[in-house]
Amino acid sequence: MSFDVGIGQYYETNSVLHKMDPRTKIFFVILYIVSIFVAKEIYAFVLLTAIMLATVIISRVPLRVILKGLKPVVVIVIFTAILNMFLTKAESEPLFSVVVIPNFWTLTLCVEGLINAGILALRIIILIIETSVLFSYTTTPIELTDGIEMALSPLKKIKVPVHEFAMMMTIALRFIPTLVDETSKIMNAQKARGADFSSGGLVKRAKALIPIIIPLFISSFRRAEELATAMECRCYHGGNGRTRMKKLKMKARDYIGLLFSCAILAGVILLNIYTHIYSI
Amino acid sequence: MSIVKLEGVSFVYGKKSPYEIHALDNVDLAIEENLITGIIGHTGSGKSTLVQMFNGLIRPDSGRVMVDDEDIWARPKQIGKVRFKVGMVMQYPEYQLFAETAREDIAYGPKNMGLDDEEIKHRVAKSAKFCGLDGDTLDKSPFDLSGGQKRRVALAGVMAMEPKLLVLDEPAAGLDPRGRREILGGIRKYQRESGTSVVIVSHSMEDMAMYCDRIIVMSHGKLILEGEPKEVFSQVKLLQSAGLDVPEIAKIVASLREKGVNISKDIYTVEGAVEALSALKEGGGKNVL
Repeated sequence: MSFDVGIGQYYETNSVLHKMDPRTKIFFVILYIVSIFVAKEIYAFVLLTAIMLATVIISRVPLRVILKGLKPVVVIVIFTAILNMFLTKAESEPLFSVVVIPNFWTLTLCVEGLINAGILALRIIILIIETSVLFSYTTTPIELTDGIEMALSPLKKIKVPVHEFAMMMTIALRFIPTLVDETSKIMNAQKARGADFSSGGLVKRAKALIPIIIPLFISSFRRAEELATAMECRCYHGGNGRTRMKKLKMKARDYIGLLFSCAILAGVILLNIYTHIYSI
Repeated sequence: MSIVKLEGVSFVYGKKSPYEIHALDNVDLAIEENLITGIIGHTGSGKSTLVQMFNGLIRPDSGRVMVDDEDIWARPKQIGKVRFKVGMVMQYPEYQLFAETAREDIAYGPKNMGLDDEEIKHRVAKSAKFCGLDGDTLDKSPFDLSGGQKRRVALAGVMAMEPKLLVLDEPAAGLDPRGRREILGGIRKYQRESGTSVVIVSHSMEDMAMYCDRIIVMSHGKLILEGEPKEVFSQVKLLQSAGLDVPEIAKIVASLREKGVNISKDIYTVEGAVEALSALKEGGGKNVL
């Protein structure tokens, strides 16, 4: 079994996007996602795709890496696209129809269905590429949680434990690789004792997992306890009065980024209103 | 006769990624039967990767791994069988215990081999004895035992499979001197009595000098030195250039030789040094010392 997981797949190229404030990126991604779902006109999608490509180029993350990250979602994209293809109500003459069960279930395919499916696939794909470029490839998990904490800090006024949530997220993200590593170590150890994870029926396979899950749980609890002790030893007492090593600071490029994300949303809305080539 | 043979084995971690590491680079080696072989090397020298080749936990990118003169990757689906021949105790094995009692945990390996209950019982008792575990300890939950006891339970769990070759990755790591002596002494006793072949991976020179019959030195994924302990430890310079510490006594002997004292370079234990030095003293070497 391979454990080259893509979590925390930060890819250092030192581009502008890497240096950008995480808050800007969060804001940008939110507006971009809204734009994707607001977009109705073909030109709006052209604009969004172009922006997606531009971010990929600016980030200088190799296309190979991005396509590899896209692999796990391909099945989902194809599945939803096919469902959409046949479930779209036909307004024009169907291209063909297949009777699956007479008088009950007929599969029809029409032009609208094809276009809808295509647009849906495009939506999912650009959404995933844009968020993964801005979040996973160019932002370290720590930066991201820092950004979320800062962005949500107004909520502290109404007693929402923002810092604690952010700290929990940071710790959880930090320990994913450790746990993956630990799992493969324990799996190897049990394999060395003759464990077999890949044959037998469902029950047998589930049973074979017990010798992995129990040690994993125990070591997670041990780790949590050790971490808590270590944090207390260094006088950690929550967010109040805590200073930061890396202070987030908005620079000119961040303000440009903010303006740009607003411009994208505005552009998509305008294109929706003023162009009428094909709208969904 | 060799039990495991590696021919031109190479392995790369994280191939085609920015984090590519050449863990093993064209390694040829043979592990002899009925001996304790020590594999030493600096952290990251590839020693753990090397031993995981022996029982097929890692498949080499190129080269062949032979166990009992059979290529273990000739039929990849049958790789599980190799693990009954080559038993492996991983680093910090106490973290892999899971059963309700220590006894059941030791029986896990033999059970996977499909042995009958009588035989399993017999083997559990036998290996527990080698590891110095009594009946009371065996009935406890493995999580209620002390660190050293846990380690010995894990060790017994692999010994109970009665492999032809027992591989131990850092068996004494993190134990106090007494714990080290107990566990390594137990392994040596087991080897001498059962005639099994044993491989110990470690970076502790002192332990290796005490317990091994042969030593293999790894550095940067390559095998740089191989031989009996006295041959290996006399190469002070080479060992130090591989980032390894030589036994203190070997260092003293080397610097004495540099000062012109006529002492054999094959000495690496306290006992050996005492003997050689008192021989020198009696032989009229007073002036030199």
